[in-house]
Amino acid sequence: SIQIPKERLPPEKPTIIKCRSPEKETFTCWWKPASDSTNHTLLYSKEGEEKVYECPDYKTAGPNSCYFDKKHTSFWTIYNITVRATNEMGSNVSDPHYVDVTYIVQPDPPVNITLELRKSIKRKPYLVLTWSPPPLADVRSGWLTLEYELRLKPEEGEEWEVQYQIWQFWPILKIKVICNSFLHADYAYSGCMSSNNSVCFLDFRVKDMV
Amino acid sequence: LPICPNGSVNCQLSLEELFDRAVKLSHYIHFLSSEMFNEFDERYAQGRGFIAKAVNSCHTASLTTPEDKEQAQQIHHEDLLNLILGVLRSWNDPLIHLASEVQRIKEAPETILWKAVEIEEQNKRLLEGMEKIVGRVHSGEVGNDIYTPWDGLPSLQLADEDSRLFAFYNLLHCLRRDSHKIDNYLKVLKCRLIHDNNC
Repeated sequence: SIQIPKERLPPEKPTIIKCRSPEKETFTCWWKPASDSTNHTLLYSKEGEEKVYECPDYKTAGPNSCYFDKKHTSFWTIYNITVRATNEMGSNVSDPHYVDVTYIVQPDPPVNITLELRKSIKRKPYLVLTWSPPPLADVRSGWLTLEYELRLKPEEGEEWEVQYQIWQFWPILKIKVICNSFLHADYAYSGCMSSNNSVCFLDFRVKDMV
Repeated sequence: LPICPNGSVNCQLSLEELFDRAVKLSHYIHFLSSEMFNEFDERYAQGRGFIAKAVNSCHTASLTTPEDKEQAQQIHHEDLLNLILGVLRSWNDPLIHLASEVQRIKEAPETILWKAVEIEEQNKRLLEGMEKIVGRVHSGEVGNDIYTPWDGLPSLQLADEDSRLFAFYNLLHCLRRDSHKIDNYLKVLKCRLIHDNNC
């Protein structure tokens, strides 16, 4: 039988992996490239419009991605997104990926977490935990509302326990009783932790309330 | 919406208090709408490609509403308040029918039924509260002109199950979207009018 050399075939179908908006103002989509293709083109259309557009920015978010800045980002609107892989033998188009940016908001973790041991007037110790919203998030104007979730677990423990869910306006929390020893905060996503012994890890997860 | 504290009849709640209650209510309505949509989507819509057909099919699509942060911040607050009122009014009729028609969906879980009734009730309360807010903020008469009719009842009663399920999917998709718009706009307005954009 006649063997057609591998690179003589048109590329396989690329796959759109994910789209995410970190601050509800811009968003990025990533795709898994087709193995034997020379280049990829992302095309999209928007609800209520016939016109088809090409990705405005292939560079900002790195390889195999398309970054939509504020000017190209609309909310409460369904984007119909496809990626086309091309080589000298032809092209192949991904399945359509339908996205409403309103529902792909995934904020960055909070920053500047501080933990302070204080003594009340009656000499009883308590902890004060403070944090700031992720820098990119505009919570001042009311456009983005964040809900914080405070979770605790003993160092040896496996399970995180959700202690509080806090609406965004009070990034200060008084914690009466935590656990027996010093408490250390780490970031939910970046996962950087120090290796103190007998510490409780305080894990922060931030959810946009959409 | 604003219940007079300690029984006094004609109490005058502050604009801030009115906005506080309205935002809590809009947040609650959107939360319920999202839950209901997700539940319905999971149970009845998997693999049917409904989202592709739901494009551009909300009965409120003809209302020109802000689509990003910049537009929401630039629009005059009276116009945005009127838009919120218009969207809320446009949902009165469909919510009444949704609450009754959803009972006829095969094995509709109690949680979907309960949410449909609760949303209809809370939407009325929010509309009442918004009319009070607009009355306070508006210089002139409260505008009654923004409204889009809904003609979707027959499609909720279609014999063909796939078509009928898509009609419900589309209504819940639009409800989730519009309740989110209302919630978002109210939060932006509250921060602008009450907290001078410094929430």
